[in-house]
Amino acid sequence: MKYAALVVKNLARSKRRTIFTLISIAVSLFIFSALVSMPAVVNRFLADPAASNRVACHNKAGVTYGIPEAYKQAIAATPHVEAVVAQSWFGGIYHEVADQFPNMSVDPEQVGAMWPDWEIAPDALERFQHLRTAALVGPETMRRFGFHLGQRIMLRGTIYPFNVTLDIVGTLNGKAPPSFLVFRRDYLEEVRGRPGFVDVIWVRVDRAANVPQVITALDENFANSSAETLTEPEAAFYGNFIAGYRVFFRMAELMGILVVFAIGLVAANTAAMSIRERRTEIAVLRSIGFPTRTILAMLLAESLLIALAGWLLGCCGAFLLLRSITVQGVVGAIQMPTSVLFIAFAVAVLIGLVSAIVPASAAARRNIVEALRAVA
Amino acid sequence: MQRAAHSEGAALRLDTPTPPAVELDQVRRIYRRDEFAVHALDNVSLTIPPARFVAIMGPSGSGKTTLLNLIAGIDHPSSGRVAVGGEEISSKKDRELAAWRARHIGLVFQFYNLIPVLTARENVDLPLLLTTLNKRDRRAHVETALRAVGLGDRMDHYPRQLSGGQEQRVAIARAIVTDPTIVVADEPTGDLDATSAEEILNLLGELNRRFGKTIVMVTHDSRAEHHVDEIYRLDKGILTGVEPGRRRLA
Ligand SMILES: Nc1ncnc2c1ncn2[C@@H]1O[C@H](COP(=O)(O)OP(=O)(O)OP(=O)(O)O)[C@@H](O)[C@H]1O
Ligand SMILES: [Mg+2]
Repeated sequence: MKYAALVVKNLARSKRRTIFTLISIAVSLFIFSALVSMPAVVNRFLADPAASNRVACHNKAGVTYGIPEAYKQAIAATPHVEAVVAQSWFGGIYHEVADQFPNMSVDPEQVGAMWPDWEIAPDALERFQHLRTAALVGPETMRRFGFHLGQRIMLRGTIYPFNVTLDIVGTLNGKAPPSFLVFRRDYLEEVRGRPGFVDVIWVRVDRAANVPQVITALDENFANSSAETLTEPEAAFYGNFIAGYRVFFRMAELMGILVVFAIGLVAANTAAMSIRERRTEIAVLRSIGFPTRTILAMLLAESLLIALAGWLLGCCGAFLLLRSITVQGVVGAIQMPTSVLFIAFAVAVLIGLVSAIVPASAAARRNIVEALRAVA
Repeated sequence: MQRAAHSEGAALRLDTPTPPAVELDQVRRIYRRDEFAVHALDNVSLTIPPARFVAIMGPSGSGKTTLLNLIAGIDHPSSGRVAVGGEEISSKKDRELAAWRARHIGLVFQFYNLIPVLTARENVDLPLLLTTLNKRDRRAHVETALRAVGLGDRMDHYPRQLSGGQEQRVAIARAIVTDPTIVVADEPTGDLDATSAEEILNLLGELNRRFGKTIVMVTHDSRAEHHVDEIYRLDKGILTGVEPGRRRLA
């Protein structure tokens, strides 16, 4: 493209201005991508297909109300159900109150069948099934407290007035939430004095297509009982916990959009200035015979190039930064989804075009004679 | 059709089948400002034969620039007809005019109007970007044009590294590089010292002689009278007379 040299030379005309504009667009896209990544990370987690045939059955009134452990038998007898694991939250702390992390008890028999995506080693699974005080721990928690396999630890109860003593027999891997610790529910039941209630009963359905059918069957089965149930896919179940953060995510998205909008205005002002300075030159090009559309295209290309360079710097910077420091949460490593790269690219294109379109089309269409007369 | 008075030489050239370089027929250009109407050009008719070097002279505000802009196809007459190289341009649309200018018009301005971020070579290359010439041919054309204006040794200089006279030479090279039908210049010496002005007038005269280029120049500069074939005098938008230049008389 023979006009490319002209575009580049025009960008180099005021290097400082070009660089400042580029940097402000880069910074805004950096902030934008970082903020927009947060909800996207959660959404990706919730959409994880590995969990699509796992459903959670809990009290209709809320998880904390509990459901009778006896429901397990009825659930296991339901068609298409492959595995059933009851779970009760313990919510203990290791030493300090600040040492909180997700820990809970589960029925040991079908852990492997329920969570194949946790990739628990077969020998660890076997130890878990044989040792009543066994615990499986996610890698983040292992690292955080310096745990090692075979270590005996004590978790202090916060909900319950007792502590549990556990032996670490293996680690949770794969797609398991890296901060989780699970131990055996029969052990918890024993120290609790066997109240016979559980928080959640996890159900593995043979095929994802049968999930709706199983959900209906379970909830109808327990309708009009003392504890009516609400059964939902795993994604929706965790979604309830994350719902509390939704407002925060919305805010983050809004902030990201506002930052981009503000920088868009700055870029528009810069484009207007840089084009106004060149009114006579543009009129000269047109007097030579450059068509309006060519001039418009060149002016837009300038602005677009700055915006895309800003995208490269800001967005890819954020991408690489988030790659290198993975922030661990319950949800897992926070990484910028590739989709955000594309969204930010579209935003950059928008900034580039919209900021320049008004002054550029005005300059490309302005009366040549008047524009030439303006200097003389 | 009314013809302006010509010297004998003009009459001779009219015998050739080539159409006149410029033909204006009862051209008016009226600027309306609020209730006032400024008659920048009033009923101007003139014919400039091809291959002439002519000057348009007159007091400030007499309509010289307006006339030049109409010939260059960057302005439209309020009424009347403008033809350049036998082609009527007053009825063309803006888009057609742009393409037409690229082929037929070379423009030279008082303040040179070079693009400051481009070298002499790149400035002269600009009109060629609109042609289908490839890079090598463009380069050859640019170098020929720059040598023709005596700047063979300044091709890679930026405008700020050149004197006013040299900048105007680059502008002239830019105007002739596409080999246009006609070169129009609005006070090309208006911003130059006496020596540089003389050099530019000599250069334009030489281009006219060597390449047979029609040149229409607006000027206040009385020195120009020695260089041109005809002088068209304008006053208050009216063509008051056409007289031979000293070059023709000499
Ligand atoms: N856009 C415009 N609006 C209103 N009047 C205009 C406009 N352009 C030119 N005029 C008027 O038209 C008349 C002729 O202007 P023009 O620029 O052609 O004069 P000129 O002979 O080139 O003058 P100078 O020697 O000062 O350059 C002037 O009275 C001028 O004020
Ligand atoms: Mg003028």
